[in-house]
Amino acid sequence: MRTINIAKDFSDTPLGRYRDDGQYSGERFREDFLLPALKAEKTVRVEIDGVEGYGSSFLEEAFGGLVRKGEFTAEELRRRLELALKDKDFEMYRALIWRYVAEAKRE
Amino acid sequence: MKRGGNHARRIHEKHWLERRARKKFLRPRNKPYQARSDVERFGTVNQYTRGSIKKATGAKAPIELVLPAKLDFEENFETTASHFRHIRDAARGRYRIRRLGFEQITDISPAAALALASEIDRWKQKAVGMKADTPTWDPDIKRLLCEMGFFELLKLPRPASEPPGNVRFLNFLPGSSQPNDKGKLAKELRINIEKIVGPGLVQKHVLFDSLSEAITNVIHHAYPGVTGGASAKPWWLSASFDSSSRKLTVLIYDQGVGIPETLPARWAHFEKVKEIFHTWSDSQKIQAAATYGRSSTNRPERGKGLGNLQEFAKAHEDGTLSIYSRHGLYRLSHASGNQIQTDLRDHDSSVGGTLIEWSVRL
Repeated sequence: MRTINIAKDFSDTPLGRYRDDGQYSGERFREDFLLPALKAEKTVRVEIDGVEGYGSSFLEEAFGGLVRKGEFTAEELRRRLELALKDKDFEMYRALIWRYVAEAKRE
Repeated sequence: MKRGGNHARRIHEKHWLERRARKKFLRPRNKPYQARSDVERFGTVNQYTRGSIKKATGAKAPIELVLPAKLDFEENFETTASHFRHIRDAARGRYRIRRLGFEQITDISPAAALALASEIDRWKQKAVGMKADTPTWDPDIKRLLCEMGFFELLKLPRPASEPPGNVRFLNFLPGSSQPNDKGKLAKELRINIEKIVGPGLVQKHVLFDSLSEAITNVIHHAYPGVTGGASAKPWWLSASFDSSSRKLTVLIYDQGVGIPETLPARWAHFEKVKEIFHTWSDSQKIQAAATYGRSSTNRPERGKGLGNLQEFAKAHEDGTLSIYSRHGLYRLSHASGNQIQTDLRDHDSSVGGTLIEWSVRL
């Protein structure tokens, strides 16, 4: 299992959808961090707390994008992706991520 | 002989160019007469060459722009917006401002202060030789402008500090200062807010969510077709806190084309309302973007942003989200008991871009 701590390994201020939006966009997190980890390991644990917050554009592109781009199905992600948090304030983001994964349709 | 002919042609060309340049400032025949203010006067006509084409411009006489007593986007919207438009026009080189007068200001809202700071930020390159006659200014206004960083903007000496009042303004943050890590600016704003309201800002994550969506919205939509890096697509962040009413106001402003202009391109349902779209006011278009804006260019993953802007206001009992864009205002007020009140307004003048204001009681 590989662990990605978003705040430490990526940024504590993730923002934006596409790479053009800035250095810490959802697209960059998906392509450079999440996807390689999911391709290399059976399960990936993503620690989502410790950041300033998440805009919906970032979350949708990073996590919903995995389904939209046809990399994984929502069911597969449910099995292989663990969203971990210690700070209860981040519960809402975990719920949002699973919602975006469930709502995403393959392009 | 040949030189003389060329000379005569140059003179003729010069006169023709001058006449054409002056005509730009004449009233067209189909336009009713309106009393001219001094900003309408034109001065000398300058000739210049761009490539092989000769052009002429009518340079207007420098104006003296005295800002009115009350600057806000509520009761004094038209006066405020029209004065800001003159500064914007000066930044675009359409006027020259000889003097910008602050001495009459007695009251300025946080939103108007941010818009004024942003106009001056764009105009400052041309504001050579500015002087500030600060002893004649209202002490509260002087302090607020100091806090917002006006004097640094205008490269003027900072006046002696005034004792802090009930309302504290934060130094405004230009978006171009962090072109690659815009989230850092939102974090910096939160840290600055906590310095004046005290640590442990409730709902700080939700503030970041709303701000990051507003910033993403500016990047995606405010300046379509504009290239040239972050400085060509400017936006500004600020906040203020009234310690007597414990009211926190957070603001983001851009001088882009406005939400009503970009709605057709960002809204999948546009085709369904295409026939009647031109009858909608700007406020109705903002409302459509905020409430129905679930999709952009038929891509269901896009367009969640504007609807999410209200989250920070929603997280507080007395929270209000106001979106001013072009001529319209769309406001959502969250009262106790999950009651939501919607307010739509349209003005003759434009706010000059998009201004988003969250106002909450802590």
